[in-house]
Order: sequence, then C-alpha cells, then structure tokens
Amino acid sequence: MIGTVGEHRTVQRAAIVRAVLLFGFWTILAGVGVADLLVGVGVSALATRVSLHLLPATPRRYDPVAAARLALRFLRQSVVAGLDVARRAFDPRLPLRPGFVSYPARCPPGLFRSAFTAFTSLQPGTLPAGSDDGGIVYHCLDVDAPVVSQLATEEVALSGVVRHE
Amino acid sequence: MSAVLDLVTIVAVSAGVFFFLAGTVGLLRFPDTLTRLHALTKADNLGLGLVALGLLPQAGSLQNGLKLVCVWLLVLLAGATVSQLVAQAARREGSSS
Repeated sequence: MIGTVGEHRTVQRAAIVRAVLLFGFWTILAGVGVADLLVGVGVSALATRVSLHLLPATPRRYDPVAAARLALRFLRQSVVAGLDVARRAFDPRLPLRPGFVSYPARCPPGLFRSAFTAFTSLQPGTLPAGSDDGGIVYHCLDVDAPVVSQLATEEVALSGVVRHE
Repeated sequence: MSAVLDLVTIVAVSAGVFFFLAGTVGLLRFPDTLTRLHALTKADNLGLGLVALGLLPQAGSLQNGLKLVCVWLLVLLAGATVSQLVAQAARREGSSS
C-alpha cells in the first residue's frame, strides 16, 4: 500500500524527471542563450504541471536496458516494415491479402495498451484499427502472415520496459 | 573525412527518397484506405528517418543534430497516433456501409 508520504515522493520524483526532460527538449529547440534559458525555465515548469495533470505520476519504473533493446528492435522492424511496403508497392502483381485479425491482448485498456498500439502501428504489416470484445483489431497487409504470434512477441518486449513496484 | 561524411549523406538521403517514392507508389496503387495507410505510415517513417540520418553529418552543431532527431521522433509519434484514428474511422465506415 502506498501511504501519502510515498505518494508525495512519487509525484515529486516524476515532477523533477519530467521538468529536466522538458527543459532539455526546450534547449534543443530554442538554444542556450540567457534569454532562451530564462523563458525555458518558465515554459518547462508550466509544461511539467500540464504533464502531471494529463498523465498523473505512478510508482512505475522504467528499465533502461530493456528500453534500449526495444529501441533497437524498433529501428530494425521499421526497416523491415518499409522494405515490406516497398516490395509490395513495386511488385507488378501487387501481392496483398488484406484483412482484419483480432489480437487477444493481455494488457487491459489504458496507457500501456495505447503505447502498445502506437508501437505496433509502425511494425511490418500491422495497423491497429480499434478494438472489439476479444481484444485489439488489426488490419493486416497479409492475413496469412503469423500476425498474432508476432504481436505477442512485441507485447512481451514492451512490457519488459515497465517495472511495477 | 568530410568526403566519407558526404558519401553517408548521399547514400542515406537517396535511400530515404526511395522509401518516400515507395510510399507514394503504394498510396496510388493499393486498393483501399486501410492498405494505403500502411504504405504511408511505414514507408514514409523509414524514409524520413533515413533523410534525417543522412543530414546529421551536415548539421554543423550538436543542437541542430538533436533537432533533426526530434523532428523524426515527433513525426513518428504523430504518424503512430493519427494512423490508428484514421484506421478506426475507415473500419467503422466500412462496416456500416
């Protein structure tokens, strides 16, 4: 159980991490002149408040090694997805077997599922198109491809990044 | 050294342009909204990634380089979000008609 002290510390930690990240983002966009930094402090403080309002702090932690591995996997899969589309688009016979596949996701609807659908929308051959009782509905370029097992692998890879405490 | 970097730029940007072309060919040739979405999101994201990668050696400063990476990441985020919304709308329309 999380007491109020623990909750306070969670919010405090999330606020500091987000403020630092947003301020870093600001310096990339605006530069590091004195005036830029002064405005940046105000803007990132405001953005942190909005961020905590829209996405409240939770005591979850992220595993940086798993995140780096996921990022590499994402880059590799992006190349595969791009090549796959290019191959189909340039093929005179237009090899498509489009259709819908329902994926019984293990994650409940919520933030993690949104991250999962965003992630898989950039994977080869799959495009999330809403949900039904069974799970997430995917539109596929080739319904004969092993879409469900591919998605299950992605779900495991993504869930490794978040550690619940 | 700069010749090598220029070569990296030429190769990566050309590859990026190839994927933009592939995405556009897919947009024109694929039969319906949903398959066209596949073509646009997948091929264009890779194309933009390669163009951004190719421009990194020419960025001149760390800040400009990071800006290029941010552009790519923001487009990825927007593409991943909007493609799902368009796909949902297309599916609803398809099932109601």
